[in-house]
Amino acid sequence: MNLKRLLSSITIADKILLYLLILLSFSGILFIKEVLPKGCEVQIEVNGRLVYVLPIEDNRIVSVKGPEGRTVIEIKDHRLRVTESPCHNKLCIKQGWIESGAIVCLPNRVLITIGNREYSNIVDAITG
Amino acid sequence: MKNKFKVQNSSQHSVESKQGKAKNLIAIYCLLFTVYCLLSTVYACKPRKEKVYRKSKILMDTLVTVTGVSNSKENAEKAIDAALAEIEKLDRLLNFFSPESEVSHINKSAGISVIKVSPDMLDVLDMSLMVSKNTEGAFDVTIGPVITLYDFYKKIKPEESLIKKNLSFVNYKDLIIDRNESTAFLKKRGMLIDLGGISKGYAADKAVEVLKRKGIHAGLVSVAGDIKAFGLKPDGRPWKIGIRNPRAKGQEDDIMATIELRDMAISTSGDYERFFILDGRRYHHLLNPKTGCPAEESQSVSIITNRAVFTDAFATGIFILGPEKGMRVLEKMGFDGVIVDSQGKVHITPNIRGKVEFKKTP
Repeated sequence: MNLKRLLSSITIADKILLYLLILLSFSGILFIKEVLPKGCEVQIEVNGRLVYVLPIEDNRIVSVKGPEGRTVIEIKDHRLRVTESPCHNKLCIKQGWIESGAIVCLPNRVLITIGNREYSNIVDAITG
Repeated sequence: MKNKFKVQNSSQHSVESKQGKAKNLIAIYCLLFTVYCLLSTVYACKPRKEKVYRKSKILMDTLVTVTGVSNSKENAEKAIDAALAEIEKLDRLLNFFSPESEVSHINKSAGISVIKVSPDMLDVLDMSLMVSKNTEGAFDVTIGPVITLYDFYKKIKPEESLIKKNLSFVNYKDLIIDRNESTAFLKKRGMLIDLGGISKGYAADKAVEVLKRKGIHAGLVSVAGDIKAFGLKPDGRPWKIGIRNPRAKGQEDDIMATIELRDMAISTSGDYERFFILDGRRYHHLLNPKTGCPAEESQSVSIITNRAVFTDAFATGIFILGPEKGMRVLEKMGFDGVIVDSQGKVHITPNIRGKVEFKKTP
């Protein structure tokens, strides 16, 4: 059956069916986008400037330069930690691995946050 | 002729039946399409599920996190950005370490001239004086000349003589503000005001005001340990706040207790925030304005009331006053609080007994 014959045999009903199928496909995309959970991303800011947005799924080591020197961040197995920092107190390193929330290094102005993930179910914020 | 008519009649009948079938199909498809359109309209009109949106930034030399509940990501992000911008603006006014800030301008003019100040600065100074009066001067923003003698990173403790000399510049009664003229003046040359004990709470309050103005009906603003919560979470529950354990050994015992808050603020002052240990003694940043030395009667003080500006400043003042006087101040002011004294004993106001869930006694 050549294309000409095929086209001539298409009825109005076929055309409407095709139109409906296309509409259904698009609504499927929208539905998936709305319903399925989104992936997690790691945002790294230095001095208020966003320098990296990375998926937490990919294992990697990232180094960023702050006012005091280099901060090294390791992303592994859906969590992250700071492994090297030029700050005095090394609080960012002592915080260890995190799976949600943020690690902040005030002296080197580095802020690492894990976004799009449901916040800790224990508390919404900590005072002190 | 008769036959010819018969043939013609039968072919006409088959064309009509085909047209009829097509019409039926079109009718079914049209019906399906109408149903689809109706369902799409219902879905589009249905109120979207509320979600928690959150953004953190380093501002006021600390970590600031603004959280907002909204059914629109776009609206939530706009409101959160506006709230962060408000905190950034206040940081430019109130930062002790920035030579360009309004507070530095007042400090540079100490003993020289009266300074015209912004409404925000006037509010902060006015409330600082109110807290000073209600804490017998334990909270005092004129502590600047003494706090600058300490270096908590380099573990530098000043000489007694130097502390004594600089203490003569510390007195909140020498900070004069004129609300009608919108002015501030430090009476003595050498005086310095440091708003670090009140500015974060004030910023949290102002950020919440911005969120509300932008249509956010529930959220949380945390400027370091100064937290203001409003409304309820999407699950209908209040915001759960953890109170840090002043003597935590690791992540497991990091939180001492939790409390659920709605339309309330909480702040904690602790001797573990900026400190160093020298000759077995803990030197921390919460200095007694009468002695110039770190206050020793408490490990941590958490205050709960409706305004973060008060929880912030009273947490500092009551930490310095100690548990006994501190509990009396809380009763007088009608505030709630949790005080961990120097021995680790927990003192708690009657109103929140049973509402604070303790995980482990520090």
